[in-house]
Amino acid sequence: MRVEKKKDVLTFYLNEDVDDYQISLIKEECIRLIDSVHPAKVILDFTDVSFVDSTGIGFVLARYKQCASNQCELVLRGLNQHHRVIFAMSGLFHLIKEEACL
Amino acid sequence: MNKVTLKFKSRMENESFARITACAFLSPLNPTIEEMMEIKTIVSEAVTNAILHGYDSNPNKLVKLEIGYDDNGCVTMIISDSGNGIEDIRQAMEPLYTSKAELERSGMGMTIMQTFSDSFDVISRLKEGTSVVVQKQLQKSK
Repeated sequence: MRVEKKKDVLTFYLNEDVDDYQISLIKEECIRLIDSVHPAKVILDFTDVSFVDSTGIGFVLARYKQCASNQCELVLRGLNQHHRVIFAMSGLFHLIKEEACL
Repeated sequence: MNKVTLKFKSRMENESFARITACAFLSPLNPTIEEMMEIKTIVSEAVTNAILHGYDSNPNKLVKLEIGYDDNGCVTMIISDSGNGIEDIRQAMEPLYTSKAELERSGMGMTIMQTFSDSFDVISRLKEGTSVVVQKQLQKSK
């Protein structure tokens, strides 16, 4: 996972698989960075993600809660149709915005 | 009718192996990209449940994946564990219900499997284990 910090925006470029195993490898770092950097906005970038399952929903919702308690905005970027279908099932688009790629 | 049975350790990194193997086995049916994503997701959810809930993340147990298909492109998948079993299947099937919220689980695994399959059954006995039985009709290959 690549992480970029520009001004007060923290962007996580997620890797190929957003599943149980991969999330277990990156979760702690994401939590730590959001808490320590205090960004105004966090972007989860899915451009390079080819697979996502319900673990991804849990991860996104948990980061949303973490960001909300830090008065920080969370947005999703680079979603494909499959990501949207999975995320839409949980209703998370009612809480979290999708941002167009730059 | 073609069939394969796989048994693998209940390690998280095997989830990716299981879903990729399932797709490789079904490739003679020429599934669409969408069908492939749906099958991968079903396998991933079922294996995650077996490891996380069936075995409480103990990596030294065994998960079994059976996949078969018939001449009409109807795929049957059975994912089983011999772990804890589910106390209340109806509750487990409820969207957003999770018994492991502390692990940032979404409670959407069962709903996703149900949505992507044509028939979806969960057979479970406490302290004996759980089997998820999925059927999915693929579009006829042209």
